Amino acid sequence: MSYSSHNDFNRNAGAMEAEETLRLIATLPAPDGIEERVKAGLRSAPRQGVVIGWPLAASYRNGWIHGSAMRAAAAAAIVIVVAGGGWEVYSHIRVAAAPAAQAVPQPISGHSGLSTAGTMRVPQTLEGPVVAAPVIAKPKTNAYPVVARGKTPSRRKPAGAVQAQP
Amino acid sequence: MEIAESIVHDESRQRAEEEALAALVDQYATTLYRVAFSVLRNQSDAEDAVQEAFLRVLRHRETLGEIRDHRVWLIRIVWNIVLDRKRRAKTRPETDDISDLARVLPAIGLTSEDRAAAAQHHAHVLACVERLPDREREVMVLSAFEELSSVEIAAVLGVTESSVRSRLFRARNLLAELLNHKRSSR
Repeated sequence: MSYSSHNDFNRNAGAMEAEETLRLIATLPAPDGIEERVKAGLRSAPRQGVVIGWPLAASYRNGWIHGSAMRAAAAAAIVIVVAGGGWEVYSHIRVAAAPAAQAVPQPISGHSGLSTAGTMRVPQTLEGPVVAAPVIAKPKTNAYPVVARGKTPSRRKPAGAVQAQP
Repeated sequence: MEIAESIVHDESRQRAEEEALAALVDQYATTLYRVAFSVLRNQSDAEDAVQEAFLRVLRHRETLGEIRDHRVWLIRIVWNIVLDRKRRAKTRPETDDISDLARVLPAIGLTSEDRAAAAQHHAHVLACVERLPDREREVMVLSAFEELSSVEIAAVLGVTESSVRSRLFRARNLLAELLNHKRSSR
C-alpha cells in the first residue's frame, strides 16, 4: 500500500467515523407524546389577528360583504371630510380685486426716428427761485494739485499752485 | 342568508385547515424534532423549535395548499428556526458534556465503561464537526438524515445540488483532517 492510498484510507475512515456519529444523533427517537404537546400548543395559540375590529362586522362574524361596505363608507366619509375642509379653506381666502385703472408712464415719443429703448418720461421738476444777490466765490485752497487723469501728481510743485479748470 | 352560508363555509374551511395541520403534526413532528436535535442537541430546545415551526405553519395555513412537498418545506422551516436560535444563543450544545451525551445515546448491550468510552468518542467527533465552517457543517448534518436526498438537502438549504455535493466533499476532507490531527496530537 502506497503512502497516498494509506492517507486516503485514513481520511475516509475519519469521515466515516464522523458520519456514523452524526447518523446516530439523527436517528435518536423523539420524546413520547411530542405530537400531542405540539397540538395542544397550537390549540392555545392565538389566531391571526383582525386588523380593525369593526363593531358591526363583529356582529356579522366575518361577513365580508358588510366589511367591504363599511370600508367603502369609511373611505367615502374620509374623502368628504378632506374635500369639505379644502373647500372651507378655499372659500375663506379673499383675493384682492384688480384695480379699475392703472397709471402707466407715457413713453417718450421718438421725434428723431430713433427708438426710445424703453426709456420713460421723467416729470419735469419746478424751477427753483432765482437768487438776486451774486454769490461770492471763496478762494479754494487745495492741498493737492488737481492733475489730469492718469497722471501722477508732481511733488515738486508748490502746495498753493492751482491749475486752471477747463 | 348569504351571511349564514359564508359563516358555515368559513367554519368548515377552518375545520379542514385544523385537520390538515393536525395531520402534518402527526406525520412530521418526530422528523422535525430529530432535525432540530441534530443542531441544538438539547431535548427541550428541539421540542420548542418544533412547536415554533408548527406555529409558523398555523399563521400561514392559507398557503398550505400551494406547497408541493410538505416534508421538505417543514424541514426548511425548522432548520431556519434552529440555525437562528443557535446563532442567537452562541452557546455550545448541551451534549458536548459527555455525561449528557451518554444519557441520550442508545446503550443496549454496553457496559458502563463501554458506554462512557463511546460517549467520549462521539463527543470528540461532534466537537470536530462544530469546528467545520458553517456551510460544510450544515450539509454534513443534513446528510446524516437518510431520508433526505441530496436534492432535498439542496431545497432545504436553498442551494443547487452540485453545491451540496461539493460542500459535502469538502466537509468530509476537513473533518478527516481535524480528526487525524486531534488523534496525532494526543
